[in-house]
Amino acid sequence: MPDTLSVTLSALADPTRRAILARLAKGEATVNEIAKPFDISLPAVSRHLKVLETAGLISRGREAQWRPCRLEPRALKRVDDWLWRYRRFWTESFDRMDAYLAELKAKEKRK
Amino acid sequence: MSARLADDELLITRTFDAPASLLFALWSKPEHMRRWMGPANFTCPEVEIDFRVGGAYRAMIKSPARGDNWFGGVYREIVENKRLVFTFTWDNDGPSAGVETLVTITFEEKGGKTVQTFHQRPFLNVERRDSHMGGWTSAFDKLAAYAAQIAKEHSA
Repeated sequence: MPDTLSVTLSALADPTRRAILARLAKGEATVNEIAKPFDISLPAVSRHLKVLETAGLISRGREAQWRPCRLEPRALKRVDDWLWRYRRFWTESFDRMDAYLAELKAKEKRK
Repeated sequence: MSARLADDELLITRTFDAPASLLFALWSKPEHMRRWMGPANFTCPEVEIDFRVGGAYRAMIKSPARGDNWFGGVYREIVENKRLVFTFTWDNDGPSAGVETLVTITFEEKGGKTVQTFHQRPFLNVERRDSHMGGWTSAFDKLAAYAAQIAKEHSA
């Protein structure tokens, strides 16, 4: 059984599903509204939504006809919490290193 | 170092306007490390360094959004002002916890400036490597930025 993060990452490993999430970041939407900008069938969109829902990335309303989808930011936060410890951790630390070196240099000049 | 990087390796080369000896001190002295370790919006209130081969270091960075984050490791190689090799592991819970990585940093001084080459790779066994999703390459940076953006928009 894959862990939660793996399920979330494989759900994110698809450009259409990421575009759907970007759409839902602006607010909730129905399947029809989500399908509009894409050149794919409603059943295909529904399959993508099912994957996103299983991964906990979106939730859907209960009404059978009108099932608006909304973004569930918690799953993305887990991804973010995992990722920031890699490249960003170091590149931003090195930005601060640069600033600190400039500060040390300025201090040296004042002496 | 091989010309091709594996997906789970990180290579960051940067030139700093400082001599190699100063950069080396920034990595090896707690009072310096406290001032730069950690991404934007973080502070590094705790650093303990036993700077010798086989010696350990341990540090904590914190931010209002991400709380306390401990990490540490052991020095494997020390060549003053030139080269530094140490293990690096996050203490926190979650998927990145307990994955031991090896960091190799080299310093090359030229005309008062220093090129710092930072290399990090995981010590994963084959099983773990096969199940490791994706890597630390540019696709992940984009995903990281995307995830951070959405997490931020929705925590506002």
